[in-house]
Amino acid sequence: MTDSEPHHLRVVVAGGGEMGLRTAELLSDRGHDVVVVEADPDRCAEISEQYVATVIEGDASRPETLRQAQPERSDVVAALTDDETTNFAVCMAAQRMSQVRTVMRVGHTPDELYTEFVDGLVFPERLGSRAAVNEIADGGVRTIEDIAGNVEVVEVEVAEDAPVAGKRLDEVRLPRGCLIIVDYQGDRIGGPDTVLEAGHRYVLAIESPVANEVMNLFRG
Amino acid sequence: MYTAHARLVSVARRRRYYGGSPVSHSGGREPAVSLSLLDATMVGIGAMIGAGIFVLTGLAVEISGPAAIVVFALNGGVTTFTALSYAELAAAIPRNGGGYAYVREVFSAPVSFVMGWTRWFTYMIAGSLYALGFASNFVEFGHLYGFTLPGPPVLYALGAVVTLVALNALSTEASGRGETAITLVKIAILGVFVVFGLTATKVGEFDPLFTEGPLAVLPAMGLTFIAFQGYDLIATVTEEVENPRVNIPRAILLSVLTTVVVYLLVVFVAIGTLGADGLAGAGETAIAEAAEGFMPTFPLIGTGAALIAFGAVFSTISALNAVVIGSSRVAFAMGRERQLPASLGRFHHRYGTPLVAILVSAVVMLVAVVVVPIRIVGNLASLFSLLGFIIVNYALIRLRRRQPDLQRPFEVPYYPITPVLGIVCNALLGLFIDPFTWALAIGWLIFGGVVYFLLSRRGDIGPTESPEIQDPEPIPTAEQGDD
Repeated sequence: MTDSEPHHLRVVVAGGGEMGLRTAELLSDRGHDVVVVEADPDRCAEISEQYVATVIEGDASRPETLRQAQPERSDVVAALTDDETTNFAVCMAAQRMSQVRTVMRVGHTPDELYTEFVDGLVFPERLGSRAAVNEIADGGVRTIEDIAGNVEVVEVEVAEDAPVAGKRLDEVRLPRGCLIIVDYQGDRIGGPDTVLEAGHRYVLAIESPVANEVMNLFRG
Repeated sequence: MYTAHARLVSVARRRRYYGGSPVSHSGGREPAVSLSLLDATMVGIGAMIGAGIFVLTGLAVEISGPAAIVVFALNGGVTTFTALSYAELAAAIPRNGGGYAYVREVFSAPVSFVMGWTRWFTYMIAGSLYALGFASNFVEFGHLYGFTLPGPPVLYALGAVVTLVALNALSTEASGRGETAITLVKIAILGVFVVFGLTATKVGEFDPLFTEGPLAVLPAMGLTFIAFQGYDLIATVTEEVENPRVNIPRAILLSVLTTVVVYLLVVFVAIGTLGADGLAGAGETAIAEAAEGFMPTFPLIGTGAALIAFGAVFSTISALNAVVIGSSRVAFAMGRERQLPASLGRFHHRYGTPLVAILVSAVVMLVAVVVVPIRIVGNLASLFSLLGFIIVNYALIRLRRRQPDLQRPFEVPYYPITPVLGIVCNALLGLFIDPFTWALAIGWLIFGGVVYFLLSRRGDIGPTESPEIQDPEPIPTAEQGDD
């Protein structure tokens, strides 16, 4: 993948549950080729009906089944069943078969050592909880991306009566650990002359210890 | 028929710009354009009925005499074996790339390159065949009204190619149902021919059947095989078909069956009315000349033969359009897979069409129109079809062996007899094509080999199998990440 342009991927998705199928659909929509491995025959028929991926019926943690999905000619193997142990087994087997990238779904706070064995981890429950917070405590703040560590990228709307409303950025003292990334039009990187207009939305990176303080400044 | 092209583009655009949003909200997939079973069947019939029957009937009769009817019947049978394989693969593998995409899934890079290279050439060479057929029928059409068109026919052939290429290169606008209507018109015109012709048909023309000997059937089959090529175009629009698992296999088989029936009726009438000798003499305009013998005079149109000549002009031009799209699609797919230079696999930023792929295909078509005589063109197109179909049948067998648990919504009946028969019959027909055609074909393959070698040395052909391993993105533990 030395090309800079979007690459045409072949992806094996182990587990055709809700998550596996949605992943396959999104990948297929972006023009990638997908193979789904699913053990349940009825579910296989349903996935096949969607016509987004080739479907192989069988248990992906059995090497004989996994081999039919041809990891050796794929770019990525994503183990997305709801069983963590199965996913780990699939990733290990796939790596043994070829030099393929592996992505593994975890169901609990991941074991720190996983990153030494697989190339990517997906923790749907954690992503789901972010989405839940967005829905529950909307109020002009939306998590955009949960990067890593304790930094969050959020989009915040400046409230009418907020302390910073109408101020230029060099007039405001934001706490250390907070950075305005993009101004409200989304066309300029935040700088000293950025004006924080009430009712406009800004993209911020915030360290969690100061999140509360920043929310106070922007939301009042 | 450039609707197929518009669809290719619309799908790509939808993917690029609208991502998966309709999917993630509704859970159901609603493609912007959808083809019913009838539409999908017409895509196949439209590409098949057209040039082959109008252009090659005369040449086939010249080789095999009245047994040309046997030629078309047997070719229909041979085609059905491969059509069944296409049906199984298309239902199981959701890719828009047609035969090339299936082979890419099953074989190593060089084999799929050969497949893509031959399919690409088949479409291009078929394009020049249709362009030449268009030109002679166009001139004949003029004759029927007493015009003598200036200049040699080859000029009209070149003009047709240039016009259609320009249309397809610059625009993706076309109505969604146009294709179905155009194909129905073609079938209707042939229907008129058959209905009037049957009354004038003399069965005696078929006795003796094998005037040129039974073995003459084989080279004639090789020549006319191209007339059954085109149903595979259905396999390049699969993702837009409604209820694809069921409808794609049906559309493929229905289009082949319908086409075989239409061909048999037309050839029966043509031989039965004009006689084998008359047809053989008429060459590319044989069907139109047969029509002159029995068609009544219509108001406005004048002689009924003009209607048939019009059908020939109309059919060849629409089939030409189909292969312009088909050839650029294969080149586009190969460019995307990095088996040809990547520029072939890109849409033009302004026109939204795979411009480079279309232009490169057009150049080969134009050269073939000027340089290669029509009979050689027909043979060459058939030979490459046959080679491609052998690979597809083999791909089916190999996929059954390697991936026994693959979901196959449609299964080829009597496996493995059917695909094996497909391979044997296709190979047999290929062997009866003359050595000069083989030499040209091998030349094109060697040229392909050189291209492949040069591209892989330059690094343009990507070894997609060895992606760079990215560093894992750390996921924070609960204590670090959650506030």
